Amino acid sequence: MADHVIIGASAAGVAAAETLRKNDKKASITIISDEKLTLYSRCLLTYLIAGAIDEEKLIFKGKDFYEKNNIKTLLGKKAISIDPKKKAVTLEGGTTVSYDKLLIATGATPKSVNIPGVDKKGIFTIRKIDEARTIIGMLDGVKEVAVLGGGLIGLRDAYALGKKGKDVFVIVKSPHILSQMVDKGASGVIASTLEKNGIKIMTGLAAKEFLGGDSVNEILLDDGKKLKCQLVIIGKGVKPNTDIASSAGLKVEDGIKVDKFLKTSDKNIFAAGDVAETYDVARQANRINALWPCAVEQGNIAALNMLGKEAAYDGSLSMNSVDFFGLRCISMGITKPKEEGYEIISKSSEHSYKKFVLRNNKIVGMVLVGDIKCAGVVSALIKKGIDVSSVKHILCETKFDYAKIMPLVKKFSDKFKEEEYQDTIASYKP
Amino acid sequence: MSKVKVKKDKDITIYCDVTKCVACRTCELACAVEHSKSKDLANSIIEKDTPRKRLTVSAINGKSISVHCQHCKEAPCVTACMSGALSKDEKTGATLQDNEKCVGCWMCVMTCPFGAIVGDSAKHIAVKCDLCPDRDDYACVATCPTGALFAGTKKEFEKKLTKKKK
Repeated sequence: MADHVIIGASAAGVAAAETLRKNDKKASITIISDEKLTLYSRCLLTYLIAGAIDEEKLIFKGKDFYEKNNIKTLLGKKAISIDPKKKAVTLEGGTTVSYDKLLIATGATPKSVNIPGVDKKGIFTIRKIDEARTIIGMLDGVKEVAVLGGGLIGLRDAYALGKKGKDVFVIVKSPHILSQMVDKGASGVIASTLEKNGIKIMTGLAAKEFLGGDSVNEILLDDGKKLKCQLVIIGKGVKPNTDIASSAGLKVEDGIKVDKFLKTSDKNIFAAGDVAETYDVARQANRINALWPCAVEQGNIAALNMLGKEAAYDGSLSMNSVDFFGLRCISMGITKPKEEGYEIISKSSEHSYKKFVLRNNKIVGMVLVGDIKCAGVVSALIKKGIDVSSVKHILCETKFDYAKIMPLVKKFSDKFKEEEYQDTIASYKP
Repeated sequence: MSKVKVKKDKDITIYCDVTKCVACRTCELACAVEHSKSKDLANSIIEKDTPRKRLTVSAINGKSISVHCQHCKEAPCVTACMSGALSKDEKTGATLQDNEKCVGCWMCVMTCPFGAIVGDSAKHIAVKCDLCPDRDDYACVATCPTGALFAGTKKEFEKKLTKKKK
């Protein structure tokens, strides 16, 4: 009976535990987490702050998940080192846990900023439930909020606090928000929706110093002006928690290096989720895609390989979905190519924007603002690397949907192997 | 009209025969009515929450298809769902949705390869085929006047296609 140990109990770790149990009723499965409360969805913390949901709804698996699946837990205990030779994990306090196969799903930590005064009270990142609880607890005394970062993470934070009726100021270094994702036009559609709902976007600016006593009450900006705020949220993305892997001698670059079976440089250790650097199908290079769907996918695949099933990972695709006051936005893959050789097909109007990035007639990226209906169909075309020459001219149309790709499903039937496509392949006659 | 009264099982699902679909949209109407309070066309139209269809008929080059949630074996929407609202029924293979848990993040819309999940703006939740829980067959299959929609096993569907050729 093999001993499977998982470090990390969020998307990747929990998915792995579930898949392990589904495929091996007898295996011993132990999950370690530095948090006491697990099985909650980090991505929903901004919904909690916005007041859209309560803590109960944060839980993404039934509360009896561990018991039901006979999973041993070591919660509220941080794993501090791995000895690959002895095949053991040491926890804070000295407890050791031995393993046959280990999964590192330690996730990521929000990036902070290196600015004087950053240790003052009232300055937060949003990643763990404790942070969200503290923020919610102090909201009554907060009138103005400053959010650092104009990417999806920062804007999602800003949206949550705007929903609570706070005066929110988003401080963005770039000339417009979402600069990594869209051009100025599309960013304008989103910015105007945010501004209409009381969120002020301050572009071309950066925080220089946090001012105040124990608690922050002002930010000094790089143009010399000061901005009043009682709460600061740093929303600048995350960095992977790779320390435990590097000190164990595993190969680490941006994240933990894994092969297509999500195996690290040690044959008994696997990695998945925000900490793992996997093959990105759109970029055709290794990359960390710190996203919920990728983490679950990788957790599932890693688990199968821990059981010796040799399940290859097709690779990850970066993707995100946000809804700002009813304005829906989805981005996927390469959204702003920096090199030559890409074709951009786009269409914009006052309330919507669509952009497709193609390389050799295959879609490698997409941005949708407003009308997002076709997102999933396009995600399959990206993942499967389908030549879309024949439908290029209708990509931006509202009516672009699954029916429109039937000829492609038929033509490239070797790539649409899933059972669910077979009725189309069998009955569509061009 | 389909005589088959079968519900989703591991091997049983709903298929659409593209050659038979004439884009009459009867399935869309039947689906919306089935998901209304009154389950009656005349009354459903005046309901406060306008009933919504959970499938879409669409066409290319004159060939049409009725697309609904395929209850995928490896369902990308379940993988992507960050609130735990979507899950797989181990016994029947159905993709289940818990409306109470859905927060309207549209991750499922982003990943459904069939575009079969749409966001309901008013309720701010995702809407998809729920396999007609209030009846012992499917509204779309039962009303399809051409027999394009079919509920059964893959073998039965294939048999149906070959029979037609002869």
